[in-house]
Amino acid sequence: MRKSLVRRPAQTPDIPTASTADVAFLLILFFMVTTVFRATSLHLKISLPKAQATERILIRRNLANLWLEAGGKVYIDDAVVPMELLNAKMAAKIAENPELVTILKIDEGTNYGIVDQMLDQLKEARAFKITFATEFRT
Amino acid sequence: MIIKARSRKIASIPTASMGDIAFLIIIFFMTSTVFTRDKGLKMLLPEKTEKIDIVKIKPENIVTIMINPEGALKVKATGLGDGLDLSVQQYNEVRKVIQQKLLERDTLLVVSLRASKDSQYKNMIAVLDQIKMSRVTAADGRELRANKISLIPTTEE
Repeated sequence: MRKSLVRRPAQTPDIPTASTADVAFLLILFFMVTTVFRATSLHLKISLPKAQATERILIRRNLANLWLEAGGKVYIDDAVVPMELLNAKMAAKIAENPELVTILKIDEGTNYGIVDQMLDQLKEARAFKITFATEFRT
Repeated sequence: MIIKARSRKIASIPTASMGDIAFLIIIFFMTSTVFTRDKGLKMLLPEKTEKIDIVKIKPENIVTIMINPEGALKVKATGLGDGLDLSVQQYNEVRKVIQQKLLERDTLLVVSLRASKDSQYKNMIAVLDQIKMSRVTAADGRELRANKISLIPTTEE
């Protein structure tokens, strides 16, 4: 075979795009696998009251969640805490982070007396910044 | 007609746009995901003191709202005479009273929310909602709102 002496035409440069799909799917899978949803396996039966003046809480850090069931059971960050120990538990949290905002998720059917007991415990723990969790009323 | 043996074609599925599709999916889910944000009514609790601090507030600066176990309200303020009795359906009257008082008393106004210990939390929140919603614009353009709210539990005798 005769060797061609004719110069080859310049090749058009191109970036291989065959693997972009793989890269994209890798990203999808990575985020799917690493996303952790908050474990809401508490099975709490709490229906929040509705309010028109509901504000969004813009801070994401410095939050403590406090649940109160209609029966008077209290949970702090997913653990049951007796009402009398609430103040000690909260005081420890406040000592750690004085800027802490406590979100009170209280069932709408709770007696105000129980709510007041809880507020009293919070005052003792010096957890003054609170928010009554509510749903938007349309 | 010339019958020619067709040369075998290699079947292929175009995969050039697969990347675009995958990124489209990523971007769609990124933009459509809504994270649940906590929301509610903000409050600042008062300091707990051993001795009862006597803070003298002029009676004309106070609006007292009482909630009984059935959810009915009694609103007391100077100028309201014997007080205003409101049923569960009339809660929005609270706002009107507070707005009027805000215009009269400006920032001095204190709202005292006295809920019975046997009343339901949702009634207390409904009243608190009304208090939080009462905003008026003063004559000089400032926005007034009821900032001073005290939560006091009451017991039934």
